[in-house]
Amino acid sequence: MKTTTRLLLGTAAMTLALASGAYAQDVAREDTVIFDLDRTISDPENFNWMTDGTGIRRMHGAHQTMWEPLFILNYNTGELDPWLALEANSDADGAVWTIALREGVTWSDGEAFDAEDVVFTVNMALENEELTAREVATLRGQVASVEALDSHTVQFTLNAPNPRFAVENFGVRIFGSFLIMPEHVWSAAEDPATFAFFPPIGTGPYEYESSASNRAIWDRRDSWWGAETGFMDMPEPDRVIFLESGGEESRAQLMIAGELDAAQNLSVGTFEAIQAQNPDAIAWYESYPYAVADPCARQMEVNTTIAPWDNANMRRAVSMIIDRTQIVNIAAEGATTASQTMFADFGSMSPFIDAVVEAGHGLPATADVAGAQALIEAEGWVRDGDYYVKDGETLSVEIHVNSASTEYTRTIDMVVEQLQRAGIDARSVPVENGVFWGEVLPFGAFTMSYSWLSCGSVNEPWASMGRYTVADVVPVGERSPGFNNTSRWDGEAAEAYSAIVNEMETMALGDPAIPGMVAEAYQYLDAEMPFIPLVQAFKLMPFSTTYWEGWPSAENYYNHPFFHWNSGHQIIHNLTRAE
Amino acid sequence: MSDPTNAAAPETAAPDMAGLTKRQLKRMKRFDNPWNNPKLIWGITLLMGIIALGIFGRIFWDTDLVFTGAVLPSQAPVGFENLRGQVGLASSPLGTDVAGKDLLALLIVGAPNSLYVGVLASLIGMSLGIFLGFTAGYTGGRVDDVIRVGSDVMITIPPLLILVVVQASFGDITLTMMSLLIAAFVWQSPTRLIRAQVLSMRESGYVQMARLSGASDRHIMFREMLPNLVPYLFGSFIANVTTSIVTAVGLEVLGLGPQRVPTLGRVIYDAIDSAALTRDMWWWWGFPTILLMVMFIGLLLINLGLDEVSNPRLRRL
Repeated sequence: MKTTTRLLLGTAAMTLALASGAYAQDVAREDTVIFDLDRTISDPENFNWMTDGTGIRRMHGAHQTMWEPLFILNYNTGELDPWLALEANSDADGAVWTIALREGVTWSDGEAFDAEDVVFTVNMALENEELTAREVATLRGQVASVEALDSHTVQFTLNAPNPRFAVENFGVRIFGSFLIMPEHVWSAAEDPATFAFFPPIGTGPYEYESSASNRAIWDRRDSWWGAETGFMDMPEPDRVIFLESGGEESRAQLMIAGELDAAQNLSVGTFEAIQAQNPDAIAWYESYPYAVADPCARQMEVNTTIAPWDNANMRRAVSMIIDRTQIVNIAAEGATTASQTMFADFGSMSPFIDAVVEAGHGLPATADVAGAQALIEAEGWVRDGDYYVKDGETLSVEIHVNSASTEYTRTIDMVVEQLQRAGIDARSVPVENGVFWGEVLPFGAFTMSYSWLSCGSVNEPWASMGRYTVADVVPVGERSPGFNNTSRWDGEAAEAYSAIVNEMETMALGDPAIPGMVAEAYQYLDAEMPFIPLVQAFKLMPFSTTYWEGWPSAENYYNHPFFHWNSGHQIIHNLTRAE
Repeated sequence: MSDPTNAAAPETAAPDMAGLTKRQLKRMKRFDNPWNNPKLIWGITLLMGIIALGIFGRIFWDTDLVFTGAVLPSQAPVGFENLRGQVGLASSPLGTDVAGKDLLALLIVGAPNSLYVGVLASLIGMSLGIFLGFTAGYTGGRVDDVIRVGSDVMITIPPLLILVVVQASFGDITLTMMSLLIAAFVWQSPTRLIRAQVLSMRESGYVQMARLSGASDRHIMFREMLPNLVPYLFGSFIANVTTSIVTAVGLEVLGLGPQRVPTLGRVIYDAIDSAALTRDMWWWWGFPTILLMVMFIGLLLINLGLDEVSNPRLRRL
């Protein structure tokens, strides 16, 4: 059985390998590094990242090889590693920021990268509401004006003091950063919202070679500013490919066959199966649970405008029905933990998590179905057979879930079962990745959905909490700014919450009053549940040492292993040919 | 030359029973009743087996085990080990999937569901086909033109393509809804074939007779002509069931179709989606595949059997 399966799969993998051989001919496999892409490149010749809410116009290699960030947040040290910029400083209250750019940086067409590019790109973001990427929306909400002090110094004046301005906008804290575009190319665009920026150029050591819906290829340039100025050596790989693997099974087979050097999230069982057949496969930890903590804890977003879920008690009931431990065991195969709060369980977040839990707003790891049913019944619902009914209407809910990963669908399958057993006719609605991020989430076209939209905080609480203030409430059908408050949570409690959170926004990092304020604000979240935290996110992203070594791991912690982020530059620079 | 048992005896001669072996004679007798056909019987037995699995399984096994998190996940069948070396438990004799669903329960509920979709879609498609085919063939003229062109156009459209788009936009749908959608693509060939048969039957004596005696069109179509087409319709029906199941399973394996109602295709989809091949969880995709094979072989045998029933020339000694 096993041999036959392996034979069959080997053949399939070979066919894939041969099919992909068409573009690998001119660069040898051992000089190429192949990363996994977990989604389709819907528009391969459009490089306008500013109008793309899904991130696909960046994560296919563009922001890991070609477009460089100003800084990269180092998850290990908590410091901002300088990249295109050298340092960022603010005035005493954090309302005016000065960023010093590195000298000697050039675009791949030879033009110099300078303050004018930064000012131009930021102004473009400020002036064009149609530029909807999350980073653009965030920046637009914060910056009042920008000016170049000299050719390599930029000054930002903010609407309100923000001690996190640099890390939030330019530091690759989560996934991306506000990327600077070349003024000499973009200034020719009539409308930045429709400009495709093709062929794209950047400052990075790689340039665009070709792209299709399932792959993007980047080739190393002959020269790069970083090597010329002594910032860093040229990276070793001659070619970088981002290849859409298409699901857990083919991802696993490509890893086993050595046709993928880095894969996207896999389940624990699959990774163990890969390791059994390809000993070169490694993960963050050498042994179980292998996976690395991801800063985006999982949650269920509730659209608070749709009855009966516009009622806070009904939302709380759903939260009480959910057995988080069962989600951990079934959906994550044991490789994660239940969430107590909206925050990622990082050591750096523990003061805030502890404050919330001490104030009695922490979430339990197990369910309280009886308590939940009492809440539902108090709202006038009566159990009739399998489900609750009120005025002839069955208590039901559709939960939208991105179908791109089994982690997502399996979690929601589990939640659906728990709700069903408690008397709510829940069903899962799997949606294709692009539709999910492009149409369902931002426009509120859901009743409940599986997401991680309170993601943001890594070492302070505001980045996450600030995403649910009333300032970001828009009607259903309009785009939520930067995916903030897609629950459309407002009302008295939301306003009281927003007031505290807004006050927190301007306070210095590490202010001793903050944990207390977090707990105070959190009482409203706990009472109203505009979103329901589920479990922590753990990512098992396997790397293969067959061709390349120097992958990030707990032992070699130069940064986190999320190679689809803008910080992927660091990973590529750290790779060395396997002996 | 004058040997009466010579194989090259004139074809006009009456069959010579004396020249046949006992076995052949026995077979010969069986043809007294054409329905007593081994292929047909075998086919029906296989399908009845699947239906019996559904009925007895529901009595003797807990079908609530089909839901996520019902049992211990990733367990091998009894007597086998999974990748972690855990031996299968008797509480889940056919093993479990990674989401903690019991394979036996999935098969008990899923196999009849897959059959149900096929039969329902085919029933609806056939009824539509019979009605349109008769109407076109018997009425002729403009009506015939419209129906003929309509079914000819529809027959060129690949159903899976359309269904994928339609179902993807629906999200979650019920089994019955899925059958209805599939039915919209299986009426064309029966329509065409029945129309052709009716065209030739229309000119036959008994139809002329019925017409002369003042029978209504409906009476002639459905009372006089339809009974003559029954074995043929049966064959066509079974072929349609096969097509419908293939289409349904195709959609389910793509992850479309009902989300929470188990079907064989859905089980296979989940297995592929969770890398069951890599994880060596052969029971996960193996058992549903075997059941699908049983189902298709059963349908094929019934189809072949019915062919022999309606066409004596196919019967062999």
